Amino acid sequence: MNSWYFSHLVLIQSTFISFLLALSIQVPLRAGVFSFAGVGSYAIGAYAAAILTIRAQVAPVLAIGAGILVAAVAGWLLALLVARLSGLYLGMATISFALFLGVLATNGGELTGGATGLYGAISTLTTTHVVVVSVLVALLLAASERGAYGRRVDAVREDPHLAVSLGIDVTRVRRRVFVVSGALGACAGGMNSLLRTTVSPETVGFHLVVTALTMIIVGGALSWAGAAIGAVVFTWLPSVLQFVGEWQLVVYGVVVAAAAVWVPGGLLGLVQDRWHRWQVRRRRIPAEGATAPVADVPADAEQQLAALGGPAAEARP
Amino acid sequence: MAQDVLNALTLGSLYLLFALGMSLAWGTIGILNFAHGSIFVFAAFSAHLLVQEVSLPLPAVLAVGVLVGAVLSLLVQVLAFEPIQRRATDHRKAEMQILVGGIGIAIIPLAVAQYATRSVPFGYSASSFRVSTWDWGFARVSNVQLVTLVAAFGLAGVIGWWLRAARPGLALRAIGVDAEVASMMGVDRRRLALLTMAVAGGLAGLAGVLLTYYLGSIAPETGDAFLLKAFAAIILGGVGSIAGVVLGAMVLAGIETLVLVTTSGTWAPAIAFGVIFVMLLVRPNGLLGRQEVRRT
Repeated sequence: MNSWYFSHLVLIQSTFISFLLALSIQVPLRAGVFSFAGVGSYAIGAYAAAILTIRAQVAPVLAIGAGILVAAVAGWLLALLVARLSGLYLGMATISFALFLGVLATNGGELTGGATGLYGAISTLTTTHVVVVSVLVALLLAASERGAYGRRVDAVREDPHLAVSLGIDVTRVRRRVFVVSGALGACAGGMNSLLRTTVSPETVGFHLVVTALTMIIVGGALSWAGAAIGAVVFTWLPSVLQFVGEWQLVVYGVVVAAAAVWVPGGLLGLVQDRWHRWQVRRRRIPAEGATAPVADVPADAEQQLAALGGPAAEARP
Repeated sequence: MAQDVLNALTLGSLYLLFALGMSLAWGTIGILNFAHGSIFVFAAFSAHLLVQEVSLPLPAVLAVGVLVGAVLSLLVQVLAFEPIQRRATDHRKAEMQILVGGIGIAIIPLAVAQYATRSVPFGYSASSFRVSTWDWGFARVSNVQLVTLVAAFGLAGVIGWWLRAARPGLALRAIGVDAEVASMMGVDRRRLALLTMAVAGGLAGLAGVLLTYYLGSIAPETGDAFLLKAFAAIILGGVGSIAGVVLGAMVLAGIETLVLVTTSGTWAPAIAFGVIFVMLLVRPNGLLGRQEVRRT
């Protein structure tokens, strides 16, 4: 067990970091906001943590915390800017925001280390910290998916117009979602650059958008648990797929495409669907055996209706 | 100066060929195909494989590119996008599933090309067509540049005319306005969608082959960069507007060339992203796009 743990430490760490990154896109998606700003926040968090750790040698809590703060503010400002957009247009605007940050990092000169990036961000952050933060985040999100607040977010996703007429402040929910997504992305990015001790512009590219999105789609977009399933599947898939060797990427593509076409609810949706059906069947089986009181069926409904003064059979079309 | 303008026009023509089909599909049948870049690369790559075996002239290589592009695009439409549109309960969910499905499918041909080439750039050095350059005094022009310019502007003109004047073009535009009303008026949506996707794929294949001739060789990863640039061109001009795509592609190529010439060039990739972001904030319908009518 112990040797297994140490030989797979990098994979275990990246599972939790991918989980947080996936959440930064799942949280907006749950509220019906198609935003990839979380990937941009990942860049903000990664660079903020690396810069603060290398230049000021601050504690990891402060370095990551500062990144989270900056990214949350950036998310709020972005939400104000893109308030008019929705759907694919919002997706495109936020993708270009995220990729623009990547180019900005390449051109940052001394501060961001240019195209080579920064290295030597050595800190006291351990895997335990990452796990604790992830569990905490998962608990908070699980709580937010229950009760009145969870239903309100559901309403915003399913029908924003209806939600407004029910008295839900849709704009505020959307803005909040951007802030939370920024914080989550920055947390993932900061922890990643401190664990790996390096960060470079290549970390933030189109591929990161694709990775985060595929995790959520395959896992399930409507709950934090879907992001968790997706993170586990896509972090461990390459080591499981070693037997297909060079064709790993092809299998990966087929999995994503098949999930998008046939299982739009993701693995989580599939499991929930099965569970729901099983529950329904379990409830129905004892009812068949029991002798339920059967109401008297009127011998002739037509006559009764006529007695009540209803329309006669001839009058009906 | 004249040379820079000519280079910008050639680059713009390549963007135009690539973006034309995407814009057409997005503006009419509502499909934003993320596998477009992958189709583009794979068509160029298939032509490369064939040229390695048989020394073909330029028209044959172009035909192979167009054919492979069209077939791939049709396959994507039939195997992925049609089932999604058939099953999806509402429009927004279908849009997103199509986006994700496209991203997933895009990985497959790209992975095959990367595996076969080991990510080394490939070209058409075995082709019987030779790139030659003429010196016109103020600028140097290659025969590939001329073919690209004629193909891009000619095809954009033909498609623009077809959409405006021909009956099927009218039907296609009707789908773009309201798909359900269009099918009530007797428009065969499925057939027109297949036609649009085939044309889009063929144009992508053409762009792929021409780009490979123009640059000498391309790497399989070129598709992603082109995809994002095509978005910028489409959004700049306005989704679904043919004149808009022409304008968008040329303006984008012009700005990029200007930045490349006047600065060290490290900012060049940011232009497309900046254009997308600013346009969506200031004028989401693009420079020449029609005003969207929302009734909800």
